[in-house]
Amino acid sequence: MGFEQDRVNNLDACIKCSACTAQCPVAAVYPLFPGPKSIGPDAERFRLEGLEMDPSSIEYCSNCKTCEITCPSGVKITDMILRARERALYPLKTEWILGGRLKPRTLQHWLRGLVLGRAEYLGWLGTIWPSLTNTVLGVSFVRGLMERTLGISRVAPLPAYYSRLKGTSVKRKKGDVAVKSVPPSKQVVYFPGCFVTYNDALTGQAVVKVLEHNGYEVIVPAFHCCGVPLQANGHFHEGRDTIKKNMALMKPYLQEDLPVITACSSCGLALKEEYPKAGTLGANRIGQQTYDLFEFLWERHERGELREKFQEVPVSLGYHAPCHLKAQGVGTPSLRLLRLIPGVSVNDLDEGCCGLSGSFGFKQEKYDLAMMIGNTLFDRVQQGVIDGEFETMITECGGCQVQIQHGSRVKTQHPIWILMKAYGIT
Amino acid sequence: MWDGIIVGGGLAGLLAGIRASERGKRILIISEGVGSLTYSSGVMDFGDVEQLVNQEKHPYSLLGERAVRSGIEYFQTLFPEYQENWGASPQVLTPLGTPRKAGIVPKGLNAGALQDAQRIVLVVPEGLKDFFPEVIKSNLERSYPRSIVVLYPLRIAKFEPWHELGKSVAGMDYAKYWRSVQGIKLLNDFLDRLAQEMASEFYEANVIQGGSAIQRNAGNGKSVVVFPGLVTSFSKALEKVIAEAPFPVVELTAFPPSASGHTLYEGLKRRFRGLGGELLVGSGVKHVERHGNRCHKVIIQSKGKDTAFTSHSFILATGGIFGGGIEVTPEVVWERAFGLPLFIPTAWTSAEFLGEQPYARIGLEVDGELRPFDSQSNQVILENVRVVGRLLAHWDPWVEHCGGGVSLASGWFAGEKI
Repeated sequence: MGFEQDRVNNLDACIKCSACTAQCPVAAVYPLFPGPKSIGPDAERFRLEGLEMDPSSIEYCSNCKTCEITCPSGVKITDMILRARERALYPLKTEWILGGRLKPRTLQHWLRGLVLGRAEYLGWLGTIWPSLTNTVLGVSFVRGLMERTLGISRVAPLPAYYSRLKGTSVKRKKGDVAVKSVPPSKQVVYFPGCFVTYNDALTGQAVVKVLEHNGYEVIVPAFHCCGVPLQANGHFHEGRDTIKKNMALMKPYLQEDLPVITACSSCGLALKEEYPKAGTLGANRIGQQTYDLFEFLWERHERGELREKFQEVPVSLGYHAPCHLKAQGVGTPSLRLLRLIPGVSVNDLDEGCCGLSGSFGFKQEKYDLAMMIGNTLFDRVQQGVIDGEFETMITECGGCQVQIQHGSRVKTQHPIWILMKAYGIT
Repeated sequence: MWDGIIVGGGLAGLLAGIRASERGKRILIISEGVGSLTYSSGVMDFGDVEQLVNQEKHPYSLLGERAVRSGIEYFQTLFPEYQENWGASPQVLTPLGTPRKAGIVPKGLNAGALQDAQRIVLVVPEGLKDFFPEVIKSNLERSYPRSIVVLYPLRIAKFEPWHELGKSVAGMDYAKYWRSVQGIKLLNDFLDRLAQEMASEFYEANVIQGGSAIQRNAGNGKSVVVFPGLVTSFSKALEKVIAEAPFPVVELTAFPPSASGHTLYEGLKRRFRGLGGELLVGSGVKHVERHGNRCHKVIIQSKGKDTAFTSHSFILATGGIFGGGIEVTPEVVWERAFGLPLFIPTAWTSAEFLGEQPYARIGLEVDGELRPFDSQSNQVILENVRVVGRLLAHWDPWVEHCGGGVSLASGWFAGEKI
């Protein structure tokens, strides 16, 4: 009953001002998408009466959460849409199992959702022999085949695979606090996320090194995917399973009050927003104990606990704030911190969504839309480099990094690399 | 530790943030949503300043005429698009095409050229949302009886899929398109074609009437184009295209969400960020921590947990009832961010719909430094907090037409003092 009441309250908070639709990156480029107001609060009235929508219109929400950030009345618009997507997709599953009259296209998208949602399984496969994977994925015939069978765009910037980030977690028994090398106040748990684990282990190692440089012991349990890709691709049940598995891995650390740190904006948002709803042990603590990496480092800075013997790093950078970092409501702590480093100049571009939105832009029918969404940002990035305003780009999100490089051909990295240089560690 | 935290990201808050950052202060702006500038027309109204500076407790009288003028002038130096002189009262067109006087307007919205137009060409962009060409035409004919008003259709390939679906195109989307590289090129071509057609049409008319070439040119010079869905301000490239057109182009204000208000919002944000300021959009202030009569920390509701920000001083720019700074429920009226006591008139409403409505004067009372002030005990409530914009008490933007002026003056003043 509580959940139903939440739905009603959330709906009542909408004053129909259309600010969300005016800011929605998808609605601006795709006329068939009615926009967040229409498929969110407007349609929710009917859904509360038991009328569900045709999934084809709700599947175009890219889950970027711009509408929620924009809304002056605090309506959880994306949440409404994703839940509606789940309910709308459920009958499909039953129909498929019963061998009903499912359209081949729907089946294809269903399978594609499973593939793209399982970034973790893909990562495992891809990193067994990364160079082979990359070679195979570089063959246009293979990409053409993937497009036709799975609907994954042949031109989309699928990230390359590298050797996996290794976990560092020592299996600790309950109560053996005394054997630890550092006090619990100097221990942190690192949640690397799939992108860092399978596509960018070097960045993951850099995160660990920076934390260690500040005297922390970094524990990296063998976490699974955060679950966002599964949810965004309509596989909610499977998404909740991985959340439960991760929560079980986190439980001992949460009980000891260790901070859980992630440098991926989307994993961070999931840990803060979705995990507390998991209903498992520790769920009440995960939101409280999760930090974006730079949010954590900035808090150390404010407490005077951060090592701030920085070398000069003469570099000018453009910064793109990922949508899912904006949605966390912590501001842009990486900008604040990098600006403490002598020589660093950072230009906060604020040109909206990059368009990729996790796996949205990998999909054949959505690739062009994703590029159109990101165009304002790409133009701005290219212009900035031509005008000598900045040399390269930084952004926290792995997906944004891939998409900005794809769209603008300008090198884009995680901001941790600037901090690495300032500390003089490699 | 910040030098200043501004709660609220509308006109007053952003202007205060820009001024303070320019003075070398480290400023954080916390804004619950995108602010209400997107609902505004981008036109600034000041009202009758000379009269209002003498009206007891009015923000103008607290600040004085000099501060009001300084705030406006400061805004104009930031944004030279707003170029009229003090007291010039330029005209703008409402979304329905009637002219009205304003304080300052961006160059493109200035409707002055219509005064001596012989012919007004109203561009009719296909499918433009909340746009009523026939109503505008008849209003223009009534307001400018010496002119002939003609409608001129515009259809662009980019929005064909919208037209095919029978879906309207938001003014924001048209405006955004014109600002793109492709849009600028197309606008250039469109204005060229329009100029040619106008010239030849006029030529035909004159041949029939036996007019000379000189008359032809003179006549063409008195054509004015009214162009809805176009916003040239803050775009050098667009301003150039318009400047090169052989006739004046007048933009139209729009119903909310409005592109000209949104463009101003983007311009303010860019300026603030360019000066190193940080803007946090999407989270509201949950509560604040005070020590005696000083505030030192705001706590905002982030995802998962709360985030605390400490600062030497604060500016409260959360807006009024519409902007969300004041909440009115059947039981209570309260200031949402700091929980400060509000001035509330005894009677709220009057029967005259467009007349003075006393509830419009609900807000925070302040001293001459804009600090929240308890008029009963005659004491400043919080020494390091300043209140700006719509949240201030004792003024009515609808009756006094001074919304832009109060926001600019108080925002500038607070940015100077932080």
